Amino acid sequence: MSLAEQNITLWGDDIPWLAGLREKGLIAFNKSGLPTAKTEAWKYSFKAVGQTENLQIDASAHECDGHCHHQCDLPFEAYQIHFCDGKLHGEHFDLPQGVSLKPLVEAIYDGDVKPYLNKSFDTENFPFAALNTAYLEQGFMLIIERGIVVDKPIFIRYHTEHNTDTFNNIRNIIVVESRAKAEIIEFFDGDSTGNFNNVVNEIFLAADSSLRHYKLQSESALTRHISFNSVQQKSNSSYKCFVAQKECILARHESYIKLLQEGAFAEVNGIYKLNENGVSDITTNIRHLAPHTTSNQLVKGVVDGHAKGVFQGQIHIAPEAQQTEGYQLHRALLLSDSGEVDCKPELEIFADDVKCSHGATCGDLDKEQLFYMQSRGINSEDARRILIEAYLQEVLNKIDNIEVAEWIKAQF
Amino acid sequence: MSEPILEIKNLSATVADKEIIKNLNLTINPGEVHALMGPNGAGKSTLSYILTGKPGYEVTGGEVMFCGKNLLAMKPDERACAGLFLSMQYPVAIPGVATNNFLKHALNAKRKYEGLPELDAAEFLKILRTEAKNLNIGADMLKREINVGFSGGEKKRMEILQMSLLKPSLAILDEADSGLDIDALKLVADGVNKLHNENNALLIITHHLDLLNHIQPDIVHIYADGHIVKSGDKSLAIELEKSGYKTFVDAE
Repeated sequence: MSLAEQNITLWGDDIPWLAGLREKGLIAFNKSGLPTAKTEAWKYSFKAVGQTENLQIDASAHECDGHCHHQCDLPFEAYQIHFCDGKLHGEHFDLPQGVSLKPLVEAIYDGDVKPYLNKSFDTENFPFAALNTAYLEQGFMLIIERGIVVDKPIFIRYHTEHNTDTFNNIRNIIVVESRAKAEIIEFFDGDSTGNFNNVVNEIFLAADSSLRHYKLQSESALTRHISFNSVQQKSNSSYKCFVAQKECILARHESYIKLLQEGAFAEVNGIYKLNENGVSDITTNIRHLAPHTTSNQLVKGVVDGHAKGVFQGQIHIAPEAQQTEGYQLHRALLLSDSGEVDCKPELEIFADDVKCSHGATCGDLDKEQLFYMQSRGINSEDARRILIEAYLQEVLNKIDNIEVAEWIKAQF
Repeated sequence: MSEPILEIKNLSATVADKEIIKNLNLTINPGEVHALMGPNGAGKSTLSYILTGKPGYEVTGGEVMFCGKNLLAMKPDERACAGLFLSMQYPVAIPGVATNNFLKHALNAKRKYEGLPELDAAEFLKILRTEAKNLNIGADMLKREINVGFSGGEKKRMEILQMSLLKPSLAILDEADSGLDIDALKLVADGVNKLHNENNALLIITHHLDLLNHIQPDIVHIYADGHIVKSGDKSLAIELEKSGYKTFVDAE
């Protein structure tokens, strides 16, 4: 069974617009097919997608037998939402006034998802997002209402335990209305041995709103994980994303951000650490489409063994986007001869009054620093560990919520 | 007589195939303060790096015993834990590592080596504060990343703070006086003097007499072209200050 020919029945195939949308997704995917060496946005990581013939979407209803823990033990307070093996758990969620979350199917049934669903990107350009559209069913719609400041982070755990080759297709719609503020944390974990996550988040930030988006990818090393984050930002909105990726067959985090109106600010920072033969891919495309917009990117990685770290960063500045600023820096520690780091900055600047920069470095640990530590009695293994921690700390320091930063660090 | 702390016998070493230490002999006993003086490029710092085990130097002959152990067979961290300390001429900055954290790792590494339990944060801070106060190092400086943006004087005081925490049997001070004003020099010298006792020893590498006016040497060695050309008491250093190295180097 190929990914394009799943023999399943999805909820809502009798809703014409939904069926039409799914059809559109499937056509787009069939047209592009799986990424190859010629797919520019996938040129360094297409191989890690691997075999997809045996992948199956589990379209059965979610019946939780209680095998998964629905509350994560966290060192900070949070509103918790859970996916078990790719399915949203529960129908009613404990959330404060002004914050609503409903399963995607319910939002489709109610029709309130219509202005947002698949509105932030073009399926033809993103093969896995097209596939995600073809199998729309699982996921949620989260709305932070106008002026609401959510007091605690909203913690979304995606926990997988199944051991069959399963394709988890999840679509979330996140709407932050004007002057609203929220923090979301996505946590992917579990010891599934055949899991392929294909997550699409469509995020809409209204004027003067703010979203802090933290993500920790901490699944089994046998996981494949693709996450596409399409963000649309109105005037003076602020989106700060921090992504942390650990060892697995493929972990790809793609940010596709449109700064649509003046004063919009976006930041994508990240860290990754690979020890054996995993692939981490952080791909960004930040599109400055209005004047006075700003973006920052800082990604640092550590690559050992036969692993591969990929960073592709595109900054597009439209002709009308004068007085914008876009900064990007990727740095990697390459600790072995057989590891690989690929970095591809792409700056497309069509305006003349802009400040833009990009940079990339790749190297081993500093020998003088290592010796200095050893000369103080710290053994080489500990010294290396401390230096690697310090290397990544610079990015962790950019997380606004210190408790969350410490939690990520402790898990990493 | 008790066992020497350091015993260097016929040591020769190269760096990048260039012979830089030639048949060097030096014995340091407990309680002694030795000064090693010599012109630039004589290989004084090289000696300190070979003793502490910095990679990149090749020992081509001779042996070094440290408190009865074969020093050259030990890893750099083992040498440090066994009681060898080098106050570096150019201490290394490590962005991302807070000074107090670095110091805690170092002290606990030594305690672990000695079979003592590691100190927890509170116990460590108590010790650290006491030692830091003696060197006029405030809490702010301890929170900063180690040696990052430190002034010359701050770096040297930080080296002495590490020495005071680790309490080495032999401390090599490689130009501990360079870049210091008179007050800072006195602070560093007082710190070192406070740590010196009959059971440990100091090897002071310097160009100048200044530091030796604050830390009294028992033996002064003139070091040139990879080995010791003359040894004597402090009067040798005073003579050197008057006549310069040339007399000694040429006389050889």
